[in-house]
Amino acid sequence: MDTTILISEAKARFNHNSAKAYLKDKYDSKLIVADQSGLWKADTQTITFLSAMDDNFIVLMDTFNNPVEVNRDKLLVLLKETYNKVMLEWHKEWKELESKR
Amino acid sequence: MRGALLFAFNSPKFNYYEMAVATAKRINHFLGLPVTIVTDNDSLPKKQSYTFDNVILADADKTNKRDWGVWYNKGRYRAYQFSPYAETILLDTDYMVNSDKLLKTFDLPTDFCCHDTTSFLMHPNAVQEMLSVYSFNTLWATVVMFKKTKRAEQIFNCLEMVQNNFDHYANIHGFISATFRNDYGLTLATRIANGHTTTKEDVIPWNLLHVGKNTSVYRKNNDEYNTEYTVMFDNWQRGKIRKEYINIKDMDFHVMNKENFMELISE
Repeated sequence: MDTTILISEAKARFNHNSAKAYLKDKYDSKLIVADQSGLWKADTQTITFLSAMDDNFIVLMDTFNNPVEVNRDKLLVLLKETYNKVMLEWHKEWKELESKR
Repeated sequence: MRGALLFAFNSPKFNYYEMAVATAKRINHFLGLPVTIVTDNDSLPKKQSYTFDNVILADADKTNKRDWGVWYNKGRYRAYQFSPYAETILLDTDYMVNSDKLLKTFDLPTDFCCHDTTSFLMHPNAVQEMLSVYSFNTLWATVVMFKKTKRAEQIFNCLEMVQNNFDHYANIHGFISATFRNDYGLTLATRIANGHTTTKEDVIPWNLLHVGKNTSVYRKNNDEYNTEYTVMFDNWQRGKIRKEYINIKDMDFHVMNKENFMELISE
């Protein structure tokens, strides 16, 4: 179905806030990673903390609030990779959305 | 071994078997999992267009009613017993799989999980549903991942107990018992099995995305495994409808409006 005709005939308006909320739902979930028996979010706070620490093994609270001993380097690499990949995709789709303003 | 399990009992109004076939194909395509269906002889078509990994015949409990008619949703507690898989994703047949996101649930450090929060497309600030104002936030039975463990078995046993005593639990928690809802049953069953507490580990760590009232979804193309949709919403303002839309892609969602789901799979 060509939905552009549907949109035009219905005189429908693009709902920017709903689109933004949809993108947040979509990409927030992609930032979640299970690793080393814990559940992590590849967010700036966790990545910064992992980068700031020196020890190879540290204990970190996961998103379930359980303390988990992790290999810092391994988790940092995984979270950085996830963060970069997801945020690039999010940014790309966000730009497409912005162009509809 | 991993797999998916679907329950599909046709009602006078809706062909759940047909919905299950469409969902199973998408599960195969996006998740790469085999699918087992639980159905009855009345729902099974004479000519089958799709081969399920397993077909389990069971009697449908036809005692549940909703505003739009009979609703054969009871008996979901049998999922544990019926699943041939060590790790299972139990899905509603009207869940539109558009990505491999559900595979992540297998990696969560738990043996049982379901959604506890929802989002509605086109309703970004919708409140979370509760059993009643005096009770708990609702868990959702739309997507459940479970492994064959004693604890998961206990949760499903509790679900059976709650279903069989639904009036009693409705009385305690202050909700209407006229229609049995698996969501409510699961909310109570998980709490009971966890010693009347909640555990964050039982929760899928992202929102269940619903397509709710006054909202329709249209496919953007007719590919069998299309993942792009236009979502149209009738926004009532001062007695007039203002149509609003967004476009979505590669995002799983649950279609509450069964007619809309049938349109999506039949186009």
